[in-house]
Amino acid sequence: MFINWALQEINLKIVYYGPGMSGKTSNLEYIHSKLDPSLTGELVTLKTKEDRTIFFDFMQIEVGRIKGKKPKFNLYTVPGQVYYASSRKIILNGVDGVVFVADSQKDRMEGNIETLLDLENNLMSMGYSLETFPWVIQFNKRDLPNTESMEMLQKKLNFFNVPQFEAVAIKGTGVFDTLKSIINLVVRHVQQQL
Amino acid sequence: MVQVKKLKDGSRQIILTAQQFDEITKVLTELAAKTKASTILLADISGQLITQRGNTTDINTQVLSALAASDFAATSEMAKLIGEDAKFKLLFHEGEKRNVYLSNVGDSFFLVVVFDVSVTLGLVRIYTKKAILNLVEVFETSEQGDDAGSIIDQDFSSMLGDMLDDSFK
Repeated sequence: MFINWALQEINLKIVYYGPGMSGKTSNLEYIHSKLDPSLTGELVTLKTKEDRTIFFDFMQIEVGRIKGKKPKFNLYTVPGQVYYASSRKIILNGVDGVVFVADSQKDRMEGNIETLLDLENNLMSMGYSLETFPWVIQFNKRDLPNTESMEMLQKKLNFFNVPQFEAVAIKGTGVFDTLKSIINLVVRHVQQQL
Repeated sequence: MVQVKKLKDGSRQIILTAQQFDEITKVLTELAAKTKASTILLADISGQLITQRGNTTDINTQVLSALAASDFAATSEMAKLIGEDAKFKLLFHEGEKRNVYLSNVGDSFFLVVVFDVSVTLGLVRIYTKKAILNLVEVFETSEQGDDAGSIIDQDFSSMLGDMLDDSFK
């Protein structure tokens, strides 16, 4: 979190984390396409020619002034593929909250678990832990035929019982609910920490 | 100094007072004048833009600072891989029309200087070095500002909730 008293700005960093192809970039693309252009900046995506995120996606959103202060939310995604491990660690630098985007398809469960462990390891190297850090989980791709049941997903991935959302990110289902939830969680967390 | 607070869970909070901000702006204005740099940014290592000078209308400086922060972080990892003990202190990108010079300011911040190829790198280096010393001094002046508790109260959270509902219709 970065507070600039001269400009009355509060900057918060939120990172969308998850395995490759789980829909992290789709979340940001939907938010960018639906928000009023006056509230959002450019969506920057660093993609390979196969359309996979190579380093990160980034966009900033604002919601206007609250009690004279201007909260700004910097949204990032990480590249999901296993071999971009060090890029993921870099993007987590200075993070205030995480959205874990899980792929609901049955054959992606292993990837979800692996990436969640990778997140826990990276948070721990920064002195945080999934148990106390503000994060929410989004079960994406709920519209596909071979998805795991919500009970199973919750049991295997949501062991700290954080807020969870069902989503179809490309259609926008669950996208704003997820974002609202992580913003609220981060703000509440900041209050509790003071 | 700039309040870099460690919160209970280990997370970091940086608070810049109005006076520090004014002094930082002064240092950057002088650097811009001396180096004829087209754009100068000061950002924190997580990619948050703090302040900017020069031509900032044609460039999305928010994005530039996010990219520069990652650039810095990526080369720090590179330094580790090749067995450097400390991270690289500066980065230089050479273009056909413009060059970019990045340099860290203490452990938490960095400067991005964008300048025309007609300006010599040596000049930029000398003045940037001087500016960094001044910035570090500003960051170390002990002045206490209000903490986040005075802004982010219960009221703030509920109003933010309402505004999010409005924006995300």
